[in-house]
Amino acid sequence: MSEHRVRADAYLLRRGMGLVVVYALLLFTVVVMAMPLFWMITTSLKDIYQALRIPPQWIPNPPQWGNYPAAWNAAPFGIYFWNSFFLAITTTVGDVITSIPAAYVLAKMTFLGRGLLLSLLLGTLMIPGQMLLVPSFILINRLGWYNTYWALIIPWTAGVFGIFLLRQFFKTIPDELWDSARIDGCSRLRYMFQIAVPLVRPGIATVALFKFVGSWNAFLWVIIMTDKVGLRTVPVGLRFFMMDIGTDYPQLMAAATMAIVPVLILFAFAQRQFIQGIARTGIK
Amino acid sequence: MKLPTLQKGRRFWWDTLEAYVYLLPTLAVLGLFTFYPFVNAFLYSVYDIRTRTVPGPVLHATADSTAWVTALARGRIPEELSDVLRVRGVDPHELWVRLRQADRWVVKDEASGQEYIIVREGEELRVHQATTGWAMESVGWANFTWAFQDPDFRKALVNTTVYVGVSVPTTLFLALLLATLLHRGVRGKAFFRLTSFLPYITPVVAITMVWAWIYDRNFGLLNYFLRSVGSLFGVEVSLIDWLNDPRYVMPALIVMNVWRFVGYQALILLAGMQGIDREYYEAARVDGAGAFGVWRKITVPLLTPQIFFLLIISLIGSFKIFEEVLILLHGPGPQKSGLTVVYYVFTKAFDSGHYGLASAASVILFAIIFVLSLFQLTVTQRRVHYER
Repeated sequence: MSEHRVRADAYLLRRGMGLVVVYALLLFTVVVMAMPLFWMITTSLKDIYQALRIPPQWIPNPPQWGNYPAAWNAAPFGIYFWNSFFLAITTTVGDVITSIPAAYVLAKMTFLGRGLLLSLLLGTLMIPGQMLLVPSFILINRLGWYNTYWALIIPWTAGVFGIFLLRQFFKTIPDELWDSARIDGCSRLRYMFQIAVPLVRPGIATVALFKFVGSWNAFLWVIIMTDKVGLRTVPVGLRFFMMDIGTDYPQLMAAATMAIVPVLILFAFAQRQFIQGIARTGIK
Repeated sequence: MKLPTLQKGRRFWWDTLEAYVYLLPTLAVLGLFTFYPFVNAFLYSVYDIRTRTVPGPVLHATADSTAWVTALARGRIPEELSDVLRVRGVDPHELWVRLRQADRWVVKDEASGQEYIIVREGEELRVHQATTGWAMESVGWANFTWAFQDPDFRKALVNTTVYVGVSVPTTLFLALLLATLLHRGVRGKAFFRLTSFLPYITPVVAITMVWAWIYDRNFGLLNYFLRSVGSLFGVEVSLIDWLNDPRYVMPALIVMNVWRFVGYQALILLAGMQGIDREYYEAARVDGAGAFGVWRKITVPLLTPQIFFLLIISLIGSFKIFEEVLILLHGPGPQKSGLTVVYYVFTKAFDSGHYGLASAASVILFAIIFVLSLFQLTVTQRRVHYER
C-alpha cells in the first residue's frame, strides 16, 4: 500500500518536474523568438545614446516618438508604401481571379491533359525562382517593361500555390450541387463564381493573405526589374534607406517597424486563415 | 488516364474546350513568365550574352542630311535636333566631326541617363532613342567550365552547402523538439503560435536589418547576451565581430535562418501530431512503452510525410539564400565568407553583365536542388509511413 503511494508520488513529482521543464523550455523559446521584434520596437523609440547603452535599456525612457516622422521624412517612404500597397493589391486580385477558374477546373472537370497539367503545375514548385532571374530580366527588357509597373504586376498574377490550395477546397463541394444548378439552367461560369466561390471563401481568404504578404515582402524581383525611385517598394526602399543612413539604428528600426506594421495588422485580423493555410500546405 | 467512351465523347471534348478557356489566363501567365524563362535558363547557359545599346524609336529623321551638315559646320545645332541635343550639351562641332568619321554616334543625357543614337545612312540622318539590345553568341560549355574554374563560384558552392547542410537539419530538429513540447497539452498554444509565426511572415529585408543591429560588435544584443551568460559562469567572453570576422559570418546567417523558420516548421509538425490517431498511443502505453519510446517509435514515424515535406521545402528555400547576405553584409562578406550561389548569380548578371555565366551558375544550382529533391522523393516513397 505505502509502496504504491510512494511510487504514485514519485510519478506525480516526475510529471510535475517534467511540466516545469517543458514550460521553462517553451518560455525560453518564446523569449528568443520574440526578442528580435521586441528589440526592433524598443530601439525605434530610443535616441542614439539610449540605443548604444550597455547594459541595454529595455524600455526606452523617455520614448522618442520623433524617430518615426524623422525616418519617414528622410526618404520618400510615401512613394514606397503607395507602391507596395498598389502592387500587393493588384497582384493579389489578379492571382485570385486567375486561380479560381483554374482551381475549379482542375478539381471538378474531366478533360484531356488534366493529369499532365497537374504534374506540370506541381513541377513548377520545384523550380527555384532565382533560376529564372536572368531569363526573366531579358524577357522583361524585350517586352519593353523594364522600369514599369507591368513588370512588377503581370508576372505575379498567377500562382501555383493558390491553385492547389483552392483546388483542395473546391474538391469538398459535392457534385450534386453542380448537377442541380445545371438542371436549373445555370452556366458553369455563373455557378463557379456565384455558388462555388462563396462556399470556399476561407480558402480564398488564405490565398489572398499569403499572396498579399508575399508581394509586400518582395525584394529581389523589384531591384532587378526597376531602378527608378518612383517604383521602389518598401523593402527596396528600406535597403536604400539603410545604405544612406548607415548605422543610425533608432531610425533604421523605426523604418523597419513601419515596414512590418501592415503585415502585423493583417496577421492580427486573420490569424486563423494564416494558420489554416500553413496546416493545409503541411499536410498536403 | 481514363479514355472517354464514344457516348461520352462529345461532352468530354466540350468540357476540354471549356476547361482550357478557364485555364487560359493562368497558363498564359505561367507559360510566359515561368515555363518560357525556365527553358531559356538552360538555353542561355550555353551562350555568351551581353547587352549593347541599339537604336530604338526614331525621334527625328531627314532624308537629306545636307541641311543638317551645313548647319553643324557653322557651329549650330539644326532646329529639329535642338530640343533633343542642345539641352544635352552636345557640341555641334564635335557632332559634325563624328558624323563625317563614323555613321553612328551615341549621346548620353547625363541628367536622365537616357542615351540617344545618331545614325547616318548615306544621305539619311536619324536620331534614335537608344534601347538595350542583346548580343548572343553560342559558346558551348564555356560558361560551365568558367564557373567551375572560378574560385568565387567554388567558394559560393561550398558556403551554400555549409549553410544548407547545417541550417536545414538544425531547424528541423529544433522544430520537432518544439512541436513535441507543445503537443504535451500545454496551455498558451495560441500565444506561442503568434510568436513563432511572426518571423515567418515579416519582410526579410526588415528583419535582416534588425539582425544586423543584433549582431553589432560593440552594442549588439547578442554579444551582450553572450557576455552576460559568460559572466554568470565567471568566463570572460570576448566580443565577437559577427559580420566582419570570416569565421562568424556563416554562423550568423545560419542562426538567423533557424530563427526565421523554426516556428513555422513546428506549427506544421504540431498540426501533423494532432492528426495522429490516439489509439496508436494507447496501444503503445498498454505495451509499456516509455514517453521517449512512444515518441521515437510512433510520433516521428507517423510524422514522416510532414518531415519530408519540410525537408524539401527548406532545402529549396535555403539554397536560394540571397537577401540576407546583401542586407547583412552589404556584399559577399569578409574574405567572401558570405558569398552564396544566388549572390554569385546576381552579381555576375546584374553587376558585371555576364548573363550567360550567371545562367550557367543558376542551372548548376537547379541541378543540385533537383537531384536532392529527387533523392528525397524516392526515399520518401520507400520510407514514409502513411497512416491508413
